[in-house]
Amino acid sequence: MLTINNLSFIVENQEQNEKKTILDKFNYTFEHGKFYGITGPNGSGKTTLAKTIMGINNLTSGQIIFDGVDITQHSITDRSNAGITYSFQNPARFKGISFRQLLSIAAQTDDESTLMKIVARVGICSLDFLDKQVDSKLSGGEIKKIELATTIARNPKLAIYDEPDTGIDLWTIGPMIDLLKKEQKNHQTTTIVVSHNKNFLEAADVILILKKGQFVYEGDLDGAMPMLTDLSTCAAPDFCEGENDVRCFR
Amino acid sequence: MLDALDKDLLKAVAGLEKIPKGAYNIRKNGKLLGRQTSANIKIETNDEGTGIVITIAPNTQNESVHIPVILSEAGLHDVVYNSFVVGENSDVTIIAGCGIHCGGDQKEGHEGVHKFTIHPNARMTYIEKHYAFGSGKGKRTLNPTTQVVLKENAHAEMILEQIGGVDIAKRINEATLDDGASLMIKENVLTESNQTAESHNEIRLNGKDCSANLIARSVLKGNSKQDFIAVMEARNKCYGHIECDAIIMDNATSDTIPSLKARHPDAELTHEASIGKIADDQLMKLMSLGLTYDEAVNRIIQGFLKAS
Repeated sequence: MLTINNLSFIVENQEQNEKKTILDKFNYTFEHGKFYGITGPNGSGKTTLAKTIMGINNLTSGQIIFDGVDITQHSITDRSNAGITYSFQNPARFKGISFRQLLSIAAQTDDESTLMKIVARVGICSLDFLDKQVDSKLSGGEIKKIELATTIARNPKLAIYDEPDTGIDLWTIGPMIDLLKKEQKNHQTTTIVVSHNKNFLEAADVILILKKGQFVYEGDLDGAMPMLTDLSTCAAPDFCEGENDVRCFR
Repeated sequence: MLDALDKDLLKAVAGLEKIPKGAYNIRKNGKLLGRQTSANIKIETNDEGTGIVITIAPNTQNESVHIPVILSEAGLHDVVYNSFVVGENSDVTIIAGCGIHCGGDQKEGHEGVHKFTIHPNARMTYIEKHYAFGSGKGKRTLNPTTQVVLKENAHAEMILEQIGGVDIAKRINEATLDDGASLMIKENVLTESNQTAESHNEIRLNGKDCSANLIARSVLKGNSKQDFIAVMEARNKCYGHIECDAIIMDNATSDTIPSLKARHPDAELTHEASIGKIADDQLMKLMSLGLTYDEAVNRIIQGFLKAS
Protein backbone atom coordinates (compact mmCIF):
# COMPACT_ATOMS: atom_id res chain seq x y z
CA MET A 1 0.00 0.00 0.00
CA LEU A 2 3.00 2.26 0.53
CA THR A 3 6.15 1.64 -1.43
CA ILE A 4 9.29 3.66 -0.97
CA ASN A 5 11.88 3.44 -3.72
CA ASN A 6 15.47 4.63 -3.41
CA LEU A 7 14.50 7.42 -1.04
CA SER A 8 17.35 9.68 0.02
CA PHE A 9 17.14 12.63 2.33
CA ILE A 10 20.27 14.76 2.54
CA VAL A 11 20.62 17.88 4.63
CA GLU A 12 22.95 20.61 3.46
CA ASN A 13 24.75 22.82 5.93
CA GLN A 14 25.60 25.76 3.68
CA GLU A 15 27.65 27.61 6.31
CA GLN A 16 30.03 24.70 6.75
CA ASN A 17 29.59 23.45 3.19
CA GLU A 18 28.72 20.01 4.50
CA LYS A 19 26.13 17.45 3.53
CA LYS A 20 24.63 14.93 5.90
CA THR A 21 22.75 11.90 4.67
CA ILE A 22 19.78 11.04 6.92
CA LEU A 23 18.09 8.46 4.68
CA ASP A 24 20.26 6.66 2.16
CA LYS A 25 18.61 5.07 -0.91
CA PHE A 26 15.93 3.71 1.33
CA ASN A 27 13.59 0.98 0.02
CA TYR A 28 10.61 -0.58 1.75
CA THR A 29 7.01 -1.64 1.16
CA PHE A 30 4.44 -1.28 3.93
CA GLU A 31 1.56 -3.73 3.51
CA HIS A 32 -2.10 -2.87 3.83
CA GLY A 33 -3.63 -3.22 7.29
CA LYS A 34 -0.44 -4.10 9.16
CA PHE A 35 0.85 -2.50 12.34
CA TYR A 36 4.50 -1.48 12.10
CA GLY A 37 6.69 -0.46 15.00
CA ILE A 38 9.73 1.56 13.94
CA THR A 39 12.50 2.04 16.45
CA GLY A 40 16.17 2.86 16.42
CA PRO A 41 18.79 5.03 18.08
CA ASN A 42 18.33 8.79 18.36
CA GLY A 43 19.22 10.47 15.10
CA SER A 44 18.76 7.34 13.03
CA GLY A 45 16.16 9.01 10.76
CA LYS A 46 12.83 7.75 12.17
CA THR A 47 11.05 11.10 12.30
CA THR A 48 12.65 12.16 9.02
CA LEU A 49 11.22 9.06 7.34
CA ALA A 50 7.77 9.64 8.85
CA LYS A 51 7.72 13.30 7.83
CA THR A 52 8.95 12.47 4.34
CA ILE A 53 6.05 10.05 3.85
CA MET A 54 3.64 12.82 4.92
CA GLY A 55 5.33 15.35 2.61
CA ILE A 56 6.52 17.59 5.43
CA ASN A 57 10.13 16.90 4.45
CA ASN A 58 10.99 17.19 0.79
CA LEU A 59 13.01 14.17 -0.22
CA THR A 60 16.29 14.64 -2.06
CA SER A 61 15.68 11.77 -4.46
CA GLY A 62 13.52 8.70 -4.76
CA GLN A 63 9.88 7.84 -5.17
CA ILE A 64 6.88 7.24 -2.91
CA ILE A 65 3.94 5.19 -4.21
CA PHE A 66 0.70 5.17 -2.19
CA ASP A 67 -2.17 2.92 -3.25
CA GLY A 68 -0.64 2.65 -6.70
CA VAL A 69 -0.30 6.41 -7.17
CA ASP A 70 3.04 8.19 -7.33
CA ILE A 71 2.68 10.85 -4.61
CA THR A 72 6.32 11.94 -4.62
CA GLN A 73 5.43 15.45 -5.78
CA HIS A 74 2.14 15.69 -3.90
CA SER A 75 1.62 18.35 -1.22
CA ILE A 76 0.89 17.60 2.41
CA THR A 77 -2.74 18.52 1.75
CA ASP A 78 -3.03 16.14 -1.19
CA ARG A 79 -1.42 13.30 0.77
CA SER A 80 -3.79 13.96 3.65
CA ASN A 81 -6.80 13.88 1.34
CA ALA A 82 -5.47 10.67 -0.20
CA GLY A 83 -5.65 9.03 3.23
CA ILE A 84 -2.30 9.58 4.95
CA THR A 85 -2.19 11.20 8.37
CA TYR A 86 0.74 12.04 10.57
CA SER A 87 0.58 12.47 14.31
CA PHE A 88 3.33 14.90 15.28
CA GLN A 89 5.94 14.07 17.91
CA ASN A 90 5.76 17.68 19.11
CA PRO A 91 2.27 18.88 18.20
CA ALA A 92 1.70 22.50 17.23
CA ARG A 93 -0.01 24.83 19.67
CA PHE A 94 -2.31 27.58 18.47
CA LYS A 95 -3.61 30.83 19.86
CA GLY A 96 -7.34 30.89 19.31
CA ILE A 97 -8.09 27.39 18.07
CA SER A 98 -9.94 24.96 20.32
CA PHE A 99 -9.84 21.18 20.25
CA ARG A 100 -13.42 21.26 18.91
CA GLN A 101 -12.31 23.44 15.99
CA LEU A 102 -9.29 21.27 15.25
CA LEU A 103 -11.45 18.16 15.37
CA SER A 104 -14.00 19.82 13.06
CA ILE A 105 -11.26 20.56 10.54
CA ALA A 106 -10.01 16.97 10.76
CA ALA A 107 -13.48 15.41 10.49
CA GLN A 108 -14.65 18.02 7.95
CA THR A 109 -17.82 18.64 9.92
CA ASP A 110 -18.89 20.70 12.92
CA ASP A 111 -21.86 18.44 13.60
CA GLU A 112 -21.93 18.02 17.37
CA SER A 113 -23.05 14.39 17.39
CA THR A 114 -20.33 13.40 14.90
CA LEU A 115 -17.67 15.10 17.01
CA MET A 116 -19.01 13.40 20.13
CA LYS A 117 -18.80 10.03 18.38
CA ILE A 118 -15.17 10.66 17.49
CA VAL A 119 -14.35 11.64 21.07
CA ALA A 120 -16.13 8.50 22.29
CA ARG A 121 -14.29 6.42 19.67
CA VAL A 122 -10.94 7.78 20.77
CA GLY A 123 -11.94 7.25 24.39
CA ILE A 124 -8.86 8.75 25.97
CA CYS A 125 -10.16 12.31 25.67
CA SER A 126 -12.96 13.37 27.99
CA LEU A 127 -15.82 15.49 26.66
CA ASP A 128 -14.67 18.52 28.60
CA PHE A 129 -11.58 18.50 26.39
CA LEU A 130 -13.63 19.72 23.44
CA ASP A 131 -13.65 23.38 24.35
CA LYS A 132 -10.07 23.53 25.53
CA GLN A 133 -7.80 25.85 23.62
CA VAL A 134 -4.97 24.02 21.88
CA ASP A 135 -2.45 26.47 23.26
CA SER A 136 0.57 26.56 25.51
CA LYS A 137 -1.55 26.04 28.62
CA LEU A 138 -2.14 22.38 27.73
CA SER A 139 0.09 19.81 29.37
CA GLY A 140 2.32 17.64 27.21
CA GLY A 141 0.03 14.67 27.76
CA GLU A 142 -3.15 16.59 26.95
CA ILE A 143 -1.86 17.87 23.65
CA LYS A 144 -0.70 14.39 22.63
CA LYS A 145 -4.19 13.04 23.29
CA ILE A 146 -5.66 15.80 21.12
CA GLU A 147 -3.10 15.00 18.44
CA LEU A 148 -4.13 11.37 18.49
CA ALA A 149 -7.83 12.24 18.28
CA THR A 150 -7.37 14.56 15.28
CA THR A 151 -5.36 11.84 13.54
CA ILE A 152 -8.08 9.25 14.05
CA ALA A 153 -10.80 11.75 13.07
CA ARG A 154 -9.33 11.73 9.56
CA ASN A 155 -10.26 8.03 9.15
CA PRO A 156 -6.86 7.50 7.57
CA LYS A 157 -5.86 4.58 5.38
CA LEU A 158 -2.31 5.07 6.65
CA ALA A 159 -1.75 6.51 10.12
CA ILE A 160 1.74 7.45 11.24
CA TYR A 161 2.23 8.09 14.95
CA ASP A 162 5.52 9.71 15.90
CA GLU A 163 6.33 8.82 19.51
CA PRO A 164 2.67 8.93 20.60
CA ASP A 165 3.48 8.23 24.24
CA THR A 166 5.56 11.37 24.84
CA GLY A 167 4.15 13.01 27.97
CA ILE A 168 1.43 10.38 28.33
CA ASP A 169 0.88 8.98 31.81
CA LEU A 170 1.40 5.27 32.50
CA TRP A 171 -2.33 4.69 32.90
CA THR A 172 -3.09 5.94 29.39
CA ILE A 173 -0.44 4.08 27.43
CA GLY A 174 -2.32 0.75 27.62
CA PRO A 175 -5.65 2.22 26.42
CA MET A 176 -3.79 4.16 23.73
CA ILE A 177 -2.25 0.97 22.35
CA ASP A 178 -5.64 -0.76 22.53
CA LEU A 179 -7.10 2.15 20.57
CA LEU A 180 -4.53 1.93 17.79
CA LYS A 181 -5.02 -1.85 17.57
CA LYS A 182 -8.81 -1.38 17.46
CA GLU A 183 -8.46 1.19 14.66
CA GLN A 184 -6.21 -1.21 12.79
CA LYS A 185 -8.71 -4.06 13.19
CA ASN A 186 -11.99 -2.17 12.65
CA HIS A 187 -10.88 0.16 9.87
CA GLN A 188 -7.97 -1.84 8.40
CA THR A 189 -5.77 1.16 9.08
CA THR A 190 -2.19 0.61 8.09
CA THR A 191 -0.42 1.81 11.21
CA ILE A 192 3.16 2.98 11.64
CA VAL A 193 4.26 3.82 15.16
CA VAL A 194 7.66 5.40 15.76
CA SER A 195 8.50 4.58 19.35
CA HIS A 196 11.09 3.60 21.89
CA ASN A 197 8.40 2.18 24.14
CA LYS A 198 8.42 -1.60 24.39
CA ASN A 199 4.63 -1.68 24.95
CA PHE A 200 4.03 -0.19 21.50
CA LEU A 201 6.59 -2.49 19.91
CA GLU A 202 4.86 -5.51 21.50
CA ALA A 203 1.63 -4.45 19.80
CA ALA A 204 3.24 -4.29 16.36
CA ASP A 205 2.94 -7.00 13.72
CA VAL A 206 6.31 -6.05 12.32
CA ILE A 207 9.28 -4.43 14.06
CA LEU A 208 11.61 -2.33 11.95
CA ILE A 209 14.90 -1.10 13.37
CA LEU A 210 16.33 1.94 11.64
CA LYS A 211 20.00 2.71 11.87
CA LYS A 212 22.02 5.18 9.85
CA GLY A 213 19.17 5.73 7.41
CA GLN A 214 18.49 2.06 6.66
CA PHE A 215 16.29 -0.66 8.14
CA VAL A 216 18.73 -3.11 9.70
CA TYR A 217 16.04 -5.43 11.05
CA GLU A 218 12.55 -6.52 9.98
CA GLY A 219 10.68 -9.13 11.96
CA ASP A 220 8.99 -9.85 15.28
CA LEU A 221 9.90 -8.41 18.64
CA ASP A 222 11.58 -11.56 19.91
CA GLY A 223 13.98 -11.47 16.99
CA ALA A 224 14.63 -7.79 17.57
CA MET A 225 15.43 -8.14 21.25
CA PRO A 226 19.12 -8.99 20.85
CA MET A 227 19.63 -5.75 18.94
CA LEU A 228 17.41 -3.71 21.24
CA THR A 229 19.30 -4.88 24.32
CA ASP A 230 22.73 -4.65 22.76
CA LEU A 231 24.51 -1.96 24.74
CA SER A 232 27.26 -1.78 22.18
CA THR A 233 24.82 0.08 19.91
CA CYS A 234 25.81 3.67 20.24
CA ALA A 235 22.87 6.04 20.64
CA ALA A 236 24.94 9.12 19.96
CA PRO A 237 27.11 8.29 16.97
CA ASP A 238 27.23 11.89 15.76
CA PHE A 239 29.29 13.21 18.60
CA CYS A 240 30.49 10.15 20.51
CA GLU A 241 34.25 9.88 20.59
CA GLY A 242 34.35 6.33 21.86
CA GLU A 243 33.78 4.53 25.11
CA ASN A 244 36.64 6.34 26.80
CA ASP A 245 35.03 9.69 26.02
CA VAL A 246 33.78 11.31 29.25
CA ARG A 247 30.53 12.09 27.48
CA CYS A 248 29.78 8.45 26.63
CA PHE A 249 26.28 7.61 27.86
CA ARG A 250 26.79 3.85 28.12
CA MET B 1 -34.35 55.10 6.86
CA LEU B 2 -31.50 52.65 6.34
CA ASP B 3 -30.38 51.89 2.81
CA ALA B 4 -28.60 48.67 1.78
CA LEU B 5 -25.17 50.24 2.24
CA ASP B 6 -26.05 51.49 5.72
CA LYS B 7 -27.24 48.00 6.65
CA ASP B 8 -23.97 46.43 5.44
CA LEU B 9 -21.93 48.89 7.48
CA LEU B 10 -24.08 48.48 10.60
CA LYS B 11 -23.88 44.72 10.35
CA ALA B 12 -20.09 44.82 10.05
CA VAL B 13 -19.37 47.20 12.90
CA ALA B 14 -22.24 46.62 15.31
CA GLY B 15 -23.68 43.23 14.34
CA LEU B 16 -26.98 44.95 13.61
CA GLU B 17 -29.35 43.65 10.94
CA LYS B 18 -31.85 46.45 11.64
CA ILE B 19 -32.56 49.25 14.12
CA PRO B 20 -31.80 47.73 17.53
CA LYS B 21 -34.14 47.36 20.45
CA GLY B 22 -33.33 49.40 23.53
CA ALA B 23 -31.17 52.49 23.60
CA TYR B 24 -29.26 53.55 20.52
CA ASN B 25 -27.77 56.51 18.72
CA ILE B 26 -26.91 56.07 15.07
CA ARG B 27 -24.86 58.75 13.34
CA LYS B 28 -24.59 58.89 9.56
CA ASN B 29 -22.36 61.27 7.62
CA GLY B 30 -21.97 63.62 10.59
CA LYS B 31 -25.68 63.83 11.38
CA LEU B 32 -28.04 62.06 13.71
CA LEU B 33 -29.87 59.26 11.92
CA GLY B 34 -31.80 57.92 14.87
CA ARG B 35 -31.87 57.94 18.67
CA GLN B 36 -33.72 55.95 21.28
CA THR B 37 -33.35 56.22 25.03
CA SER B 38 -34.58 53.79 27.67
CA ALA B 39 -35.75 54.11 31.26
CA ASN B 40 -32.19 53.66 32.51
CA ILE B 41 -30.10 54.92 29.63
CA LYS B 42 -30.24 58.58 28.70
CA ILE B 43 -28.64 59.92 25.50
CA GLU B 44 -28.32 63.66 24.99
CA THR B 45 -26.42 65.92 22.65
CA ASN B 46 -23.60 67.62 24.54
CA ASP B 47 -23.60 71.34 25.26
CA GLU B 48 -21.18 72.09 22.44
CA GLY B 49 -23.17 70.07 19.92
CA THR B 50 -20.08 68.04 19.08
CA GLY B 51 -21.23 64.66 20.36
CA ILE B 52 -23.41 62.88 22.86
CA VAL B 53 -23.52 62.23 26.58
CA ILE B 54 -24.74 58.79 27.56
CA THR B 55 -25.78 58.47 31.17
CA ILE B 56 -26.51 55.06 32.58
CA ALA B 57 -28.47 55.12 35.81
CA PRO B 58 -27.07 53.41 38.92
CA ASN B 59 -28.08 49.73 39.35
CA THR B 60 -28.93 49.28 35.66
CA GLN B 61 -28.49 45.60 34.93
CA ASN B 62 -27.91 43.71 31.69
CA GLU B 63 -28.82 46.52 29.32
CA SER B 64 -27.03 47.54 26.18
CA VAL B 65 -26.65 50.64 24.07
CA HIS B 66 -25.61 50.81 20.42
CA ILE B 67 -23.85 53.94 19.12
CA PRO B 68 -22.54 53.13 15.63
CA VAL B 69 -21.26 55.69 13.16
CA ILE B 70 -21.47 55.19 9.42
CA LEU B 71 -19.83 57.25 6.71
CA SER B 72 -20.50 57.09 3.00
CA GLU B 73 -20.14 60.72 1.94
CA ALA B 74 -17.03 61.50 -0.08
CA GLY B 75 -14.67 64.04 1.46
CA LEU B 76 -16.26 63.99 4.91
CA HIS B 77 -14.10 63.91 8.01
CA ASP B 78 -16.38 63.46 10.98
CA VAL B 79 -15.21 64.28 14.52
CA VAL B 80 -17.28 63.48 17.63
CA TYR B 81 -16.75 63.86 21.37
CA ASN B 82 -18.84 61.37 23.33
CA SER B 83 -19.03 60.97 27.10
CA PHE B 84 -20.23 57.92 28.98
CA VAL B 85 -21.21 57.94 32.62
CA VAL B 86 -21.84 54.44 33.96
CA GLY B 87 -23.69 54.57 37.29
CA GLU B 88 -22.79 52.65 40.45
CA ASN B 89 -23.51 48.91 40.56
CA SER B 90 -24.65 48.79 36.96
CA ASP B 91 -23.73 46.15 34.40
CA VAL B 92 -23.99 47.30 30.78
CA THR B 93 -22.71 46.66 27.29
CA ILE B 94 -21.89 49.50 24.91
CA ILE B 95 -21.48 48.64 21.25
CA ALA B 96 -19.77 51.36 19.24
CA GLY B 97 -17.91 51.20 15.97
CA CYS B 98 -17.45 53.01 12.73
CA GLY B 99 -18.03 51.78 9.22
CA ILE B 100 -16.82 53.68 6.18
CA HIS B 101 -17.85 53.10 2.59
CA CYS B 102 -15.64 54.89 0.15
CA GLY B 103 -16.87 55.02 -3.42
CA GLY B 104 -14.77 57.87 -4.78
CA ASP B 105 -11.30 59.36 -4.78
CA GLN B 106 -11.82 61.76 -1.90
CA LYS B 107 -10.68 60.76 1.55
CA GLU B 108 -13.14 59.96 4.32
CA GLY B 109 -12.50 59.75 8.01
CA HIS B 110 -13.84 59.61 11.50
CA GLU B 111 -12.37 60.65 14.82
CA GLY B 112 -14.25 59.54 17.89
CA VAL B 113 -13.09 60.73 21.29
CA HIS B 114 -14.83 58.62 23.94
CA LYS B 115 -14.55 59.50 27.61
CA PHE B 116 -15.81 56.97 30.14
CA THR B 117 -16.42 57.38 33.83
CA ILE B 118 -17.22 54.02 35.42
CA HIS B 119 -18.58 54.56 38.91
CA PRO B 120 -17.90 52.27 41.89
CA ASN B 121 -18.81 48.59 41.51
CA ALA B 122 -20.08 49.09 37.97
CA ARG B 123 -19.22 46.77 35.12
CA MET B 124 -18.99 47.84 31.51
CA THR B 125 -18.30 45.86 28.36
CA TYR B 126 -17.36 48.10 25.46
CA ILE B 127 -17.12 46.72 21.93
CA GLU B 128 -15.75 48.90 19.15
CA LYS B 129 -15.25 47.64 15.61
CA HIS B 130 -13.80 49.59 12.73
CA TYR B 131 -14.29 48.56 9.16
CA ALA B 132 -14.04 50.19 5.75
CA PHE B 133 -14.80 49.04 2.26
CA GLY B 134 -15.66 50.32 -1.20
CA SER B 135 -14.03 50.57 -4.60
CA GLY B 136 -12.98 54.22 -4.21
CA LYS B 137 -9.32 55.18 -3.97
CA GLY B 138 -9.84 57.83 -1.29
CA LYS B 139 -7.99 57.17 1.95
CA ARG B 140 -10.11 55.94 4.82
CA THR B 141 -8.94 57.23 8.17
CA LEU B 142 -10.11 56.22 11.62
CA ASN B 143 -8.57 57.82 14.69
CA PRO B 144 -10.33 56.64 17.84
CA THR B 145 -9.48 57.82 21.34
CA THR B 146 -10.77 56.16 24.49
CA GLN B 147 -10.20 57.70 27.91
CA VAL B 148 -11.41 55.61 30.82
CA VAL B 149 -11.63 56.44 34.49
CA LEU B 150 -12.42 53.43 36.65
CA LYS B 151 -13.61 54.26 40.18
CA GLU B 152 -13.36 51.91 43.18
CA ASN B 153 -13.99 48.25 42.28
CA ALA B 154 -15.29 49.17 38.84
CA HIS B 155 -14.57 46.81 35.97
CA ALA B 156 -14.30 47.41 32.26
CA GLU B 157 -13.69 45.03 29.41
CA MET B 158 -12.94 46.75 26.13
CA ILE B 159 -12.83 44.88 22.83
CA LEU B 160 -11.32 47.06 20.12
CA GLU B 161 -11.18 45.70 16.60
CA GLN B 162 -10.03 47.03 13.28
CA ILE B 163 -11.17 44.33 10.92
CA GLY B 164 -10.04 45.58 7.55
CA GLY B 165 -10.10 48.26 4.91
CA VAL B 166 -8.84 51.15 7.05
CA ASP B 167 -5.92 52.94 5.37
CA ILE B 168 -4.71 55.05 8.26
CA ALA B 169 -5.51 54.55 11.92
CA LYS B 170 -4.15 56.20 15.00
CA ARG B 171 -5.64 54.89 18.20
CA ILE B 172 -5.12 56.31 21.67
CA ASN B 173 -6.23 54.36 24.74
CA GLU B 174 -5.84 55.94 28.17
CA ALA B 175 -7.05 54.52 31.46
CA THR B 176 -6.81 55.40 35.14
CA LEU B 177 -7.72 52.87 37.80
CA ASP B 178 -8.71 53.49 41.42
CA ASP B 179 -8.66 51.00 44.33
CA GLY B 180 -9.83 47.50 43.39
CA ALA B 181 -10.70 48.46 39.82
CA SER B 182 -9.93 46.11 36.96
CA LEU B 183 -9.53 46.63 33.25
CA MET B 184 -9.19 44.25 30.34
CA ILE B 185 -8.37 45.67 26.92
CA LYS B 186 -8.35 43.33 23.93
CA GLU B 187 -7.18 44.96 20.75
CA ASN B 188 -7.17 43.20 17.38
CA VAL B 189 -5.87 44.93 14.28
CA LEU B 190 -5.57 43.61 10.74
CA THR B 191 -3.74 45.68 8.14
CA GLU B 192 -2.88 44.93 4.53
CA SER B 193 -1.51 46.53 1.35
CA ASN B 194 -0.08 49.97 2.31
CA GLN B 195 -2.21 50.55 5.40
CA THR B 196 -0.74 51.94 8.61
CA ALA B 197 -2.02 51.59 12.15
CA GLU B 198 -0.69 53.07 15.36
CA SER B 199 -1.88 52.18 18.83
CA HIS B 200 -0.75 54.30 21.76
CA ASN B 201 -1.76 53.02 25.19
CA GLU B 202 -1.20 54.56 28.58
CA ILE B 203 -2.59 52.85 31.65
CA ARG B 204 -2.14 54.30 35.13
CA LEU B 205 -2.65 51.90 38.00
CA ASN B 206 -3.25 54.33 40.84
CA GLY B 207 -5.41 52.31 43.22
CA LYS B 208 -4.55 49.62 45.71
CA ASP B 209 -5.23 46.11 44.38
CA CYS B 210 -6.31 47.34 40.99
CA SER B 211 -5.37 45.31 37.92
CA ALA B 212 -5.09 45.74 34.17
CA ASN B 213 -4.56 43.38 31.26
CA LEU B 214 -3.77 44.73 27.84
CA ILE B 215 -3.80 42.06 25.16
CA ALA B 216 -3.03 43.11 21.61
CA ARG B 217 -2.99 40.92 18.52
CA SER B 218 -1.86 42.24 15.17
CA VAL B 219 -1.83 40.69 11.74
CA LEU B 220 0.11 42.54 9.06
CA LYS B 221 -0.02 41.68 5.38
CA GLY B 222 1.37 43.25 2.22
CA ASN B 223 3.41 46.39 2.84
CA SER B 224 1.41 47.45 5.86
CA LYS B 225 2.93 48.85 9.03
CA GLN B 226 1.79 48.81 12.62
CA ASP B 227 3.21 50.48 15.72
CA PHE B 228 2.08 49.35 19.14
CA ILE B 229 3.21 51.42 22.10
CA ALA B 230 1.98 50.57 25.58
CA VAL B 231 2.97 52.17 28.86
CA MET B 232 1.71 50.73 32.12
CA GLU B 233 2.54 52.72 35.23
CA ALA B 234 1.91 51.30 38.69
CA ARG B 235 1.59 53.70 41.64
CA ASN B 236 0.27 51.25 44.22
CA LYS B 237 0.15 47.58 45.16
CA CYS B 238 -1.41 46.33 41.97
CA TYR B 239 -1.05 43.97 39.01
CA GLY B 240 -0.57 44.81 35.37
CA HIS B 241 0.16 42.75 32.28
CA ILE B 242 0.82 43.63 28.66
CA GLU B 243 0.70 40.95 26.00
CA CYS B 244 1.32 41.92 22.40
CA ASP B 245 1.71 39.43 19.59
CA ALA B 246 2.03 40.13 15.91
CA ILE B 247 1.98 37.91 12.86
CA ILE B 248 3.84 39.52 9.97
CA MET B 249 3.48 38.40 6.38
CA ASP B 250 4.88 39.51 3.03
CA ASN B 251 6.84 42.79 3.49
CA ALA B 252 4.93 44.14 6.47
CA THR B 253 6.74 45.78 9.37
CA SER B 254 5.87 46.03 13.03
CA ASP B 255 7.23 48.02 15.97
CA THR B 256 6.14 46.83 19.38
CA ILE B 257 7.19 48.81 22.43
CA PRO B 258 5.80 47.70 25.77
CA SER B 259 6.92 49.76 28.74
CA LEU B 260 6.44 48.98 32.43
CA LYS B 261 6.92 51.59 35.11
CA ALA B 262 6.82 50.50 38.73
CA ARG B 263 6.44 53.41 41.16
CA HIS B 264 5.55 51.29 44.17
CA PRO B 265 7.47 48.43 45.81
CA ASP B 266 4.47 46.08 45.74
CA ALA B 267 3.68 46.66 42.10
CA GLU B 268 3.68 43.54 39.96
CA LEU B 269 4.03 44.20 36.26
CA THR B 270 4.72 41.75 33.45
CA HIS B 271 4.80 41.79 29.70
CA GLU B 272 5.27 39.38 26.87
CA ALA B 273 5.67 40.27 23.25
CA SER B 274 6.28 38.34 20.07
CA ILE B 275 6.55 39.21 16.40
CA GLY B 276 6.98 36.62 13.71
CA LYS B 277 5.66 34.73 10.77
CA ILE B 278 3.08 31.99 11.16
CA ALA B 279 4.85 29.03 12.69
CA ASP B 280 5.60 26.23 10.22
CA ASP B 281 4.42 23.56 12.63
CA GLN B 282 0.98 25.20 12.77
CA LEU B 283 0.72 25.28 8.98
CA MET B 284 1.96 21.69 8.66
CA LYS B 285 -0.53 20.47 11.22
CA LEU B 286 -3.53 22.06 9.53
CA MET B 287 -2.37 20.93 6.08
CA SER B 288 -1.96 17.41 7.44
CA LEU B 289 -5.65 17.65 8.36
CA GLY B 290 -6.54 18.39 4.74
CA LEU B 291 -6.50 22.21 4.53
CA THR B 292 -4.65 23.90 1.69
CA TYR B 293 -1.82 26.29 2.53
CA ASP B 294 -4.08 29.34 2.06
CA GLU B 295 -6.89 27.81 4.09
CA ALA B 296 -4.45 27.01 6.87
CA VAL B 297 -3.09 30.59 6.89
CA ASN B 298 -6.61 32.05 7.08
CA ARG B 299 -7.64 29.67 9.83
CA ILE B 300 -4.60 30.52 11.93
CA ILE B 301 -5.14 34.28 11.47
CA GLN B 302 -8.85 34.01 12.34
CA GLY B 303 -8.04 32.18 15.52
CA PHE B 304 -5.16 34.48 16.42
CA LEU B 305 -7.29 37.61 16.14
CA LYS B 306 -10.04 36.05 18.23
CA ALA B 307 -7.67 34.66 20.84
CA SER B 308 -7.18 37.83 22.79
